[in-house]
Amino acid sequence: MMIEDVFEPLFLSMGFIRAILERTFMQRALMTGVLIGFLAPLIGSFVVIKRLSMIADTLSHFTLAGLSIGLFFINILALPIGDPLYIGMIFAVTGALLIEALRNYYQNYKEISMPIVISLGTALSALFISLSGGFTSTVYNYLFGSILTVSQQFIYIITATTIIVIVLIAVFYKKIVIVSFDESYARLLGINVNVFQFFTTIILGLVIALAIETVGVLLVSSLMIIPVAAAMKVGRSFKNTLLIAILFSEASVLLGLWLSYVVGIPSGATIVLFNISILLLVVIIKKLFSIQQTLKKDSSENEKTKPI
Amino acid sequence: MRIKVDNLSFGYDYRTVLKNISFTLESGEFLVLVGNNGSGKSTLVKCLLGINRVPSNRIYIDDIEIHQYRQWINIGYVPQKFDDFNYEFPITVNEILTVSRLSKIDEEARLSLLDKIGILELQNENINSLSGGQLQRVFIARALMNNPKLLILDEPTVGVDSDSISEFYRLINNLNAEGVSIILITHDVKASKANFTKKLRMENGRLTETLDNEVTS
Ligand SMILES: Nc1ncnc2c1ncn2[C@@H]1O[C@H](COP(=O)(O)OP(=O)(O)O)[C@@H](O)[C@H]1O
Ligand SMILES: [Mg+2]
Repeated sequence: MMIEDVFEPLFLSMGFIRAILERTFMQRALMTGVLIGFLAPLIGSFVVIKRLSMIADTLSHFTLAGLSIGLFFINILALPIGDPLYIGMIFAVTGALLIEALRNYYQNYKEISMPIVISLGTALSALFISLSGGFTSTVYNYLFGSILTVSQQFIYIITATTIIVIVLIAVFYKKIVIVSFDESYARLLGINVNVFQFFTTIILGLVIALAIETVGVLLVSSLMIIPVAAAMKVGRSFKNTLLIAILFSEASVLLGLWLSYVVGIPSGATIVLFNISILLLVVIIKKLFSIQQTLKKDSSENEKTKPI
Repeated sequence: MRIKVDNLSFGYDYRTVLKNISFTLESGEFLVLVGNNGSGKSTLVKCLLGINRVPSNRIYIDDIEIHQYRQWINIGYVPQKFDDFNYEFPITVNEILTVSRLSKIDEEARLSLLDKIGILELQNENINSLSGGQLQRVFIARALMNNPKLLILDEPTVGVDSDSISEFYRLINNLNAEGVSIILITHDVKASKANFTKKLRMENGRLTETLDNEVTS
């Protein structure tokens, strides 16, 4: 191995830091990554508690339909709607409400709502992607993310969303936690669960639409669910688990951005692979830990039963 | 808290489960509700709690028709099963109790409640590491967080060891002595340890026995 081989990643890493200091697109990417890295697991935790993990995937597919229709409006009909993202956001929220409605309609088969909405979303996407010019680089970016090309406008939207989410959670913390953990008890306390559900669903839709910009439609759910899946195995309390999930998520975002810049690979996929690596590490370390504990217990028991 | 039930019938879908139920419960009373599995005990308390939608003018809480009643926070409820609760996600005893208290709680009052229920040393434990008896006590504590005037307990002693059961009866007798009305569903033989004032027996959706107990204590 040449000495340069060792130093090359180091030079590239310094290049990464210099790029963040000097290049606006890198600053925006970092800002987006950090904000989504915060929002996704925060919202994702409540999704996981309510056993709705599939909802993220469903909504991201439905959002893609909105993005494709937006593309169709702009590319083919030449409507001045600005960014397809707006239609995507409308679809995300509509999809979320549609899922709620279907969940109420099929009381005993609530999960049926997911494949119905996912199919509708995917079918509409396929239709409008083809109508608006086929598989272009824009469509590729929707599928796999385009964190390096986010606009200043997007930064404003996502900053505002983050602030709104933080304020809402701070103000309604108790009620949100009760409704998530035990809906029927929340009703008994006189909390209007339906109104609550409505607003959380809208927020969920918005965050998913925004997260698509970072890692793309196909990887959004992993951003929301995987850090939480890892954190819930090590968290010592509810707040502690939220904090760990956010730390895992931010670590993945930063490492993912860095590695993708240094090696020149897609950032969305790299971030998600870091997330999964953390999950694997957590599982392995927990397993080793519990094996060690059983061994300790066994040996201490053996000592007790040893004849003198 | 005063409860009046007047000729209540209730059913799920097409099957009538409760038939012509009438009784009253005065403030501070301790009601024990017994009867075979499936006789309709849980269904009845769910009607009182507004979980089951009942016809108008059948149930009055503190003389208010149930559909007009808003002060649900005054009723504490320990359900028969905790299936509705999501266990696997980490949350500590303290966190559950804190969010269940909707208004501010005074730290001293909180600690004395935990102490009274015997879960003081469990407060930082994760809910998914508790035994059945411990969990039971946490849910009783949750029901008491908002200082209810009526506490409804649906078979709270099932699966709880006998020491904890004696402890449990001492606890609810004390609560009742402090003025909290109690409705206890049980077919526990140790229910004799309860200082109840009234006992109702349900059979097949009907009340078949009403016993007013003169407490001698
Ligand atoms: N949610 C429900 N939907 C339909 N039937 C129910 C429901 N809950 C209870 N039942 C039926 O009502 C009857 C009374 O049940 P329940 O009130 O739970 O009795 P108990 O508490 O005395 O054991 C039973 O036959 C039970 O199967
Ligand atoms: Mg029952």
